[in-house]
Amino acid sequence: MLRILHDTKIDFIRLWRTAAIVIAVFILPALVLIPISGFNYSIEFTGGTLMQVGFKQPPDVAQVRSALTQGGVPGVEIARFGTNELVIRAQESSSVERQQSGGAETVATQIRATLDKLFGAGGYDVVRTEAVGPRVGDELRRQAATATLIAFGLTLIYLAWRFEWRFALAAVLATVHDIIASLAFMKYMNIEISVFVVGAILTVIGYSMNDKVVVFDRVRENLRQARKEPLYDLLNRSVNETLPRTVMTGSTTLACLLALLIFGGEVIRPFAWVLTFGIIIGTFSSIYVASPLLLWTERKWPRRVGGKDAVGPRSLGSAPVARKPSSRSREAEGAVTR
Amino acid sequence: MSNLKIRLLLIVVMIGGAIYSLFPRTVVERVRRGDRYVYDTTRRVPLKRGLDLQGGMHLSLEIDEAKQAVTDKSEALDRALKVVRTRIDEFGVSEPIVQKSGNDRIIVELPGIDDEARAIDVVQKSAFLQFQITDETRALEKVLPRIDAIIRESGAAAAAPTAGDSTAKTGQKGLQELFTPGTAKGDSAAKAGGDSAAADTAPVNLTTGGPFSKLVAGGGDMPGEYFVAETDVLTAQHYLDMPAVRAALPPGKTLRWGADAVSRGATMFRPLYLVDTRPIITGEYLTDAKPNQVPIEGTVVEFTLNNEGGRRFRNETGKHVGDYMAIVLDDRVMGRPPVIQSAIGTRGQITMGQGRSLQEAQDLALVLRAGALPVPLKVAEVRKIGASLGEDAIRQGLAAGALGLGLVILIMIVYYRFSGFLAVLGLLFYGLTTLGILAGFDATLTLPGLAGFVLSIGMAVDANFLIFERIREEMVRGKTIRTAINEGFDHAWSAIVDTHVTTALTAAILYQFGTGPVRGFAVALLAGLAASMVSAIFVVRTLFLVWLHRTRATQPLSI
Repeated sequence: MLRILHDTKIDFIRLWRTAAIVIAVFILPALVLIPISGFNYSIEFTGGTLMQVGFKQPPDVAQVRSALTQGGVPGVEIARFGTNELVIRAQESSSVERQQSGGAETVATQIRATLDKLFGAGGYDVVRTEAVGPRVGDELRRQAATATLIAFGLTLIYLAWRFEWRFALAAVLATVHDIIASLAFMKYMNIEISVFVVGAILTVIGYSMNDKVVVFDRVRENLRQARKEPLYDLLNRSVNETLPRTVMTGSTTLACLLALLIFGGEVIRPFAWVLTFGIIIGTFSSIYVASPLLLWTERKWPRRVGGKDAVGPRSLGSAPVARKPSSRSREAEGAVTR
Repeated sequence: MSNLKIRLLLIVVMIGGAIYSLFPRTVVERVRRGDRYVYDTTRRVPLKRGLDLQGGMHLSLEIDEAKQAVTDKSEALDRALKVVRTRIDEFGVSEPIVQKSGNDRIIVELPGIDDEARAIDVVQKSAFLQFQITDETRALEKVLPRIDAIIRESGAAAAAPTAGDSTAKTGQKGLQELFTPGTAKGDSAAKAGGDSAAADTAPVNLTTGGPFSKLVAGGGDMPGEYFVAETDVLTAQHYLDMPAVRAALPPGKTLRWGADAVSRGATMFRPLYLVDTRPIITGEYLTDAKPNQVPIEGTVVEFTLNNEGGRRFRNETGKHVGDYMAIVLDDRVMGRPPVIQSAIGTRGQITMGQGRSLQEAQDLALVLRAGALPVPLKVAEVRKIGASLGEDAIRQGLAAGALGLGLVILIMIVYYRFSGFLAVLGLLFYGLTTLGILAGFDATLTLPGLAGFVLSIGMAVDANFLIFERIREEMVRGKTIRTAINEGFDHAWSAIVDTHVTTALTAAILYQFGTGPVRGFAVALLAGLAASMVSAIFVVRTLFLVWLHRTRATQPLSI
């Protein structure tokens, strides 16, 4: 039997202060940066026109830019994409819209006319065009935010029903942490927020929840055993017991993502980056954020069973209460015994 | 072991179902055509590739409320949808998608189309056809001073918009001279003299220097025809958009721009027609339209009216013999209004002018046949993906998928040996059923969908890890193999269900609130989650049971 990390007894929770400092150091600069400079949003969110153009040989970006500006294309931004391709972005222009009834499409026509002049009609190849009205972008942003909030709400309710509200709260807060950390990562990496990246964040949420549920499932099971064990030790034991699975799942998923990073191409790459980071941070936060949060909520709002302290005091990690839990009182612990 | 047989039978049925739904076949389905349902035989190819994998165009259309206020948007959109669908069906694209998205948007997907301007034109053109008699009373000249006064009062002249500014210096003087009233009806001599024929015939009550009147030149060889220099069209339109100016126009008359510019001397002019607001007939009576090319007029669209339309048309034109009739399509006058020689019956033609391609005439005929859009639509979003990008995406996706899958299989078999092999069999079942479910629901395979699929592989693998690690723990605790396997599955069950349900909740919300790409992701994820649950909890367990049955638990389990 090939085993890794078998029967480990690492005191993970002890390191939570160190972990908290690391997290703070990572997140705080982003919390300052994001309000100042904001995110780069893709065309779906901002509205505007995007055109991805392939050329036969690497084009001169400066030349294209000046030609487009002279051609009257408003707010041009040009970025290289791969070796022979350019991504041209432009803001919407309402004055152009009025004359021609094509609406959002007109800027694309303008860009084409300019490129025709510069490279000849057959000298380039339009790979992709996107033109989005500003209203669509607003709507999309609102939709993504609403979807995330509702998903959190439902998860909270589901976990509170299956586990207990403290578990649910700890899991959801830890996942919120993952989102914030992922956003910080995107800020540092200068990753543009597109529909795709939003999908990646939502997947990170799913994965991170998944990981927390697995650890908490073990905690729930261990709580059911009639051991007089401080919650602190119990959490550590649960994390250690699930460690092989955590490592195995984490490494297989990362292997898949590595394949995406290498072969996925330019379109998928930002998506794969966000997922890679999110999955690492999601695994990490099950141990260092969710578990300490659970400890903390137990200390703050100790569980009470029939007027007697049940799990509460052991959460402090101090001397366990000399108590012989009867099966009935464990029943009364509510959802935990489910 | 009847229990085991039932399990195996169920698995075979599921695999059979998945394979069945994955095979292309001919199906008879009820489809909606216009108002009624008809049975239609189509060849259904499962797992159609989405636009991002195949190349093509995605359009989303909204009601243009700037042009027309609409009270019941949803109902208006339903009617518009019908018209758009008819047009697209005739456009000749294989498997187009035309559907309503939410209550205020129409989604049109055209695989393989890359002429965006043409596609947008076909979808968006209102195709509202009207026949209107041009004004013969020189009504515009009478109200010009009033319009000028209104513009001066509002101060808009000082803040004359964009295009006017640039031309003001060069064009102003010439344009002032240009202004001349419409000449007498049918006076063809004036035709040549559009620009030189004379401020001296100007009626006395006209202020040639007025902000609006200075832009407008008469001199057409028919009543109600005026000309505005192409460079001043925006400015003039800006004035005409002012509500006060609109109110000042002669009662019962409307101004309409011509569709094409004409050259008079060195400058390009855009014709402007004053027509009766009440059309003598509209395009609703049109039964057929087809493109044609004729020697003198160039490209034309010939149309046929139905009997009732023909009767009305004959009546109305009979009353207006000798008058000029503007053919107005989407508020633009097509060609030059012809003079009505005698009463016209059911046939007529729309002149598109020289230099227009036959294809444009074809598209116009198409939209005329499909009928007018009940509400004006504007394009809110255009996405065009070249076919090459789709091929790249597929190639890259396949490469990444193959590598990822290979790594997963490798890790499983190296780490868990025989049990890992069973898990890989479970994964194969998972992959097959996921695709089967997607095909069964007639889902389209998109790039985000592939991502969702790949991610649910992660969940499926995770479930196996949970089970196997648990079995190992139980074996370490000294349980027999049979008990260890049973306990392993039983204890992992709660974690598997909880993780799958939480993820499924998120996916369901995404489906409910997301659009397009996000939905594709959610659907693939949901299908994958369902298959993953069945695979881990049911299929892999059955495989273990088969193994136990074969070996009678005498061999050590390779895990």
